[in-house]
Amino acid sequence: MNTVEEIFSVLEEKFGVKRDTRDKWGVCAVVGAAYLHNVVQFLKDSAAIKFEMLVDIAGIDYLTYPNHEGPRFAVSYAFKSVSTPGQRIRLKVQVSEDSLKVPTISDLFANANWYEREVFDQFGIVFTGHPDLRRLLNHVEFVGHPLRKDYPAQKRQWLSTNDYLLPALEKRLEDLGYRVVQRSKEVGTNDNEFLEGSIKE
Amino acid sequence: MIVLDPNGEKLNLMPLNVGPSHPATHGCLRFLAAMDGETIVASVEEIGYLHRGFEKMVERGTWQQVLPYTDRLNYCSAIMNNIAFCRTVETMFGIELPERCKVLRVIVNELSRINDHFVCIAAAFQDLGGTTPFMYAFNPREEIMCIWEKLTGARLTNSYARIGGLYRDSYDGFENDVLAALDSTEKALKDLHACLDRNRIFLDRTVGIGKISAERAISYGWTGPCLRASGVASDLRKDEPYYDYETYDWEVVVGTQGDCNDRLQVRMAEIEESVKIVRQALKRLAPGPVDIVDPRIRVPAHKLAYQDMEGLIGRFKSVYEGIRVPEGEFYCGSECANGELGFTIVSDGSGHPYRIKVRPPCLTQFAAFHELVEGGQLADSMAVLSGLNIIAGELDR
Amino acid sequence: MTAEAEKPNIITSSLDFLVNWGRTNSLWPFPYGTACCAIEFMSTEVGRYDLSRIGSEYVRFTPRQSDVLLVAGTITYKQAPILKRIYEQMAEPRWVIAMGACACSGGFYDCYCTVPGIDHIIPVDVYIGGCPSRPEAFFDAMFDLQKKIKDESYMKQRAERVKDQLEMIKAKTAEAKANAKEFAREKVVDIKDFVVSKEQEIVKKAQFWKE
Repeated sequence: MNTVEEIFSVLEEKFGVKRDTRDKWGVCAVVGAAYLHNVVQFLKDSAAIKFEMLVDIAGIDYLTYPNHEGPRFAVSYAFKSVSTPGQRIRLKVQVSEDSLKVPTISDLFANANWYEREVFDQFGIVFTGHPDLRRLLNHVEFVGHPLRKDYPAQKRQWLSTNDYLLPALEKRLEDLGYRVVQRSKEVGTNDNEFLEGSIKE
Repeated sequence: MIVLDPNGEKLNLMPLNVGPSHPATHGCLRFLAAMDGETIVASVEEIGYLHRGFEKMVERGTWQQVLPYTDRLNYCSAIMNNIAFCRTVETMFGIELPERCKVLRVIVNELSRINDHFVCIAAAFQDLGGTTPFMYAFNPREEIMCIWEKLTGARLTNSYARIGGLYRDSYDGFENDVLAALDSTEKALKDLHACLDRNRIFLDRTVGIGKISAERAISYGWTGPCLRASGVASDLRKDEPYYDYETYDWEVVVGTQGDCNDRLQVRMAEIEESVKIVRQALKRLAPGPVDIVDPRIRVPAHKLAYQDMEGLIGRFKSVYEGIRVPEGEFYCGSECANGELGFTIVSDGSGHPYRIKVRPPCLTQFAAFHELVEGGQLADSMAVLSGLNIIAGELDR
Repeated sequence: MTAEAEKPNIITSSLDFLVNWGRTNSLWPFPYGTACCAIEFMSTEVGRYDLSRIGSEYVRFTPRQSDVLLVAGTITYKQAPILKRIYEQMAEPRWVIAMGACACSGGFYDCYCTVPGIDHIIPVDVYIGGCPSRPEAFFDAMFDLQKKIKDESYMKQRAERVKDQLEMIKAKTAEAKANAKEFAREKVVDIKDFVVSKEQEIVKKAQFWKE
């Protein structure tokens, strides 16, 4: 019977991951950003326990964390095994404020696409190689990244118009093998329709 | 827009916007579909219309103040979210709960699950044009709401669980009320099956619609009834048992096709299983305390605050400073009505949460929406959407 | 009696009363439900509470056919332009109910993404408290709204509207007159200039011939 601990020691050998001492209840491996894709691929395809499901991606901002040393941001991945129920592992990638880059895993897991968009939206961490890195929860005119610790909670930003989805739809059509010959006319914004306090004003 | 399809033929597609204010999108979902006649060729989704800043708001309060916010994640089954959150924090503390608390939590958990599934089924049939099942499904739901009112004081957003216990013990006559609600649940289920099982219109609109394979569903991170409808027997209550779920006699319901009909049928069957669990749990309900005795975690009883110095200090400190969750990071998922609701918690050892990230079950399901509807008719997309049971509060947080 | 009934009848009533009676008892809501309050609204519709008792069971999901915009749930900045657009699409007379704490004031979501009350975007007639509001509170709000509608005077509104229209027509007429005058003066000036130039030409010609 393989345990998550054994898988962790394999990861330690192969990719030089470190144990995250903050997670005292489960297994969490700190991975270098360069190895992330390989580690995830290994966990998904060839580990003794296969972790087929990406459960969650969470961004963390350590700006005001007491006695924190190291890079400001971290992205934490949670994986779960479906074939061996009850086995879980977490990965963590540390991201410094200067680079803000993490390789994407959206080619391995379909749901990573939206999770990574969310982390980009809330923290401004760029996932290199992501097919369509847009904001997910906040609107198109939003400036800044609200879950960073230095974003004031009550700083409101009005939206003046509705979001466009046509470029995304064209992209989806091209992914399906279609080729757009003539783009449809987008409905232009009406300048009279600005709401109170809109940032475009 | 004019496009060339993979065979090089010219097609004139019409972009059609659905939502966010559309009866079937329940207010907060939106998708833009490229239509070829009545057929959806491609579709993209947009979410965030109910993004209320859960994760920013909870960083400002104490740990107990998170509970009302968790109510409003999946508002159809608020108590389950409370319990999922409390369980995560209790695991970090390493608390063993009293027996009565565990059994009561199982009972309210399963009643909430019944409640949530009924809303899903009712809304699905309402969207497909059937008003009668909507009425049938809401009758037992109202009875459960009455129990909530007596037990917690609120109808929908209950905040019943507390870290290290429950808001209060059950009232006199709780068992009888629950039994009556279970009876009417079973009656409603019978009515629903009579309405739907051999209903030609319903079957034509749901069987084979919005199919997804088990492999693809796992890749999308689906959990809960939607994944089980695709034939994967994955249920956290069995896989990572908590609150002695493994000792109850019940089955994991699994579908075969992974289509819209299976998702609804799995929910109906899960209601039956939940009824079984609640009946067994009621028999186990023995008198005893519902809270742990630890003034650092659970607020001492009101009585003690007036009679006892210790009680007063405990109450004062836990209200003003909040409880201090051990420093560290932890992810824990619980089986909620829609799937795995998980909390990634980062605690810095102070009285305030440093960061709480919710893992909503709906997000992964809605992310796969375009794969389910592409190639189908526009009207089918409504059946698919209501079969997935997307709760916007949880989706956007 | 029968002979009496066959005669043509006259109903004596004020038009106000009749119109308000009609409007009061067939308020068709447009449920703009986004969050938890929408679930309570669903409970209000069915069996136990039964919204059809006050003639409002006919829930219309199109703004063109509804009288009451029922905003049930949190409105975020992303959704604000949509809500405004839907309000503008509704035909007069229209009323708005803000259901629940979030729609009234933003509730306890005092945050970067939630609108602190829908009255920043659209006018509101009735506010309902509660998080979420109970069905009883919703009924109370509907009764309040009905009272409000009964106090409205269709004839007065109509008179005001006619007055507004008359004033608008007057203003338009005055403007048109002014424009016409201006135009005429320009024309007159043109003609004068023309006459002057012609005279000068004639004088020139006469001088030429004299020479």
